[in-house]
Amino acid sequence: MPGGVIVVERREGLGLAERLYLPMLARGLWVSARHFFRNLRGFVTGKNRRDFVVQYPEERVDYADAFRGVPVLVEREEGGPRCVACGLCELACPTCCIRIEAGELPDASGERHPVRFDLDLARCMFCGLCEEVCPVEAIVMSRSVEMAAFDRASLLFDKRALLVPAALVKRRLDFLSKGYERPRDADGERAG
Amino acid sequence: MFLVALIKSLFITLVVVGFFLPILTWVERKQSALMQDRIGANRASLAGVSILGLLHPVADVLKLMSKENAVPGGANRLLHLMAPLIAAIPVIAAFAVIPYGGNYRFGAGELSLVAADIDWGVLYVFAIASLASFGAVLAGWASNNNWSLLGGIRAAAQMISYEVTMGLTLVPLFMVFGTLRLTQMGEAQDTVVPAFAFLRIFGLDGLPTLLQAISIPAWGLFLNPPAFILFLTCIMAENKRPPFDLPESESELVAGYSTEYSGMRFGLFYLSEFIQVVVVAGLVTAIFLGGWTIPWLSQAEIIGAIEPWFGESVATGACLLFHVTSFFAKVAFVIWLQMLIRWSLPRFRYDQLMDLCWKVILPASLLNIFATAFVMLALGDVR
Repeated sequence: MPGGVIVVERREGLGLAERLYLPMLARGLWVSARHFFRNLRGFVTGKNRRDFVVQYPEERVDYADAFRGVPVLVEREEGGPRCVACGLCELACPTCCIRIEAGELPDASGERHPVRFDLDLARCMFCGLCEEVCPVEAIVMSRSVEMAAFDRASLLFDKRALLVPAALVKRRLDFLSKGYERPRDADGERAG
Repeated sequence: MFLVALIKSLFITLVVVGFFLPILTWVERKQSALMQDRIGANRASLAGVSILGLLHPVADVLKLMSKENAVPGGANRLLHLMAPLIAAIPVIAAFAVIPYGGNYRFGAGELSLVAADIDWGVLYVFAIASLASFGAVLAGWASNNNWSLLGGIRAAAQMISYEVTMGLTLVPLFMVFGTLRLTQMGEAQDTVVPAFAFLRIFGLDGLPTLLQAISIPAWGLFLNPPAFILFLTCIMAENKRPPFDLPESESELVAGYSTEYSGMRFGLFYLSEFIQVVVVAGLVTAIFLGGWTIPWLSQAEIIGAIEPWFGESVATGACLLFHVTSFFAKVAFVIWLQMLIRWSLPRFRYDQLMDLCWKVILPASLLNIFATAFVMLALGDVR
């Protein structure tokens, strides 16, 4: 925790010093002056500054695993999405931003898979319900937040754009699996 | 004589508008950043060099200059365009009477470092400051916008109220110094007074010699501390900056009287606000912090110390430099103090603002006048 935790004791009502105002004013000025001089010293010597600023394009914050960024489709090791086109996320989505067209894989397995999987980020509200209903952990919320675009059309992500290797979202997958408390094998498939 | 006055006015205008003004926008951003554990403006750069964000004022001005100057429909065009000028020009003029140095004798000639050494200097500043309030009021009225109008009305009410009390808060200082002339006030502060002389009021005459030997500069701040607090409060309220920024309180009135302003005319309001910060600092320095004087070292002592080595004119010149430096150092300190207050305190509620003025500062300053009179009677003359 940056800066440590300060426990504040709140008293209801105003004491004499608060009502006189000037003593508390002096105390307030003292607090901010203390910060000023401490940081000024750090500003000059380059040490012991207490700023919390992240210089954004150069520095990034490592968001928590529970953070819900842009939803992505998890890729299988042999390629293609894990998604089985069950349509639960499409159904669960409150903003109807997911659109799935199901089909069968052309290979011998003939498994169900999405022929189309479109996600309109302009409508997505990052609630994470799609991730929650997904039975195969195929759609997860990534930690990416950079999705600014100049027009709405480029916010419509198709299957290829959404596909992300499992390794990149491993932390999120691990985080999700904590909720199930069931171990997974090397392929990321859950036992049982 | 005219030429000398012109040069002196040019000097003070250049220092205030050319140096303090651009640097203050930077200082405000950096100081608030340091107070709030942030870094502050550091992105504006020229060829990859940003020099601690010092280029931000340049970028700000370029941006404001290149922006469109929109006049809203239904606005009084002439007044809308004039209001920022009315706000900005008087505050620059207010610096005319603030002395940034003493009176120096070079051979036969004399040099007094103040643009206009008028007899009623303080009253001139008050008059000019009340002119500046027209800028805010007219801007609010001429914009044809409800937010602006409310801001303008608030500005009028606030500034009129605080002008009344501001004059009264200074009356004790007029009594102590016996003058309205700012240069004479400065000269009166170029000395020391025994720190514990005031104990004589309580009949404590036989002080230990050690205590009697302690002396403090005869600054207005030490001669009458309550007046300092009262006056600083009033003049900060007069300046319409937080915690007294009700005329433009952005959480209630969008931007108050400056809502409908854009481009450099909007910039002019900011310009006048920042110049006013410097004027406030100059006035507080001149009246309360000994003006150009150096504590415990009077002008005669400084000249006397240097004269044996370098002669009288060099000594006087050096003394002049010390004094001007001392004045601007004190001004910088008061600016820092104002910024500290501006970034520490939340805005007053409107009723609190008026209560503070009429129910607290006005009675307190009246009380202070009588208390000062009593002390002066009891002590005789302290100086």
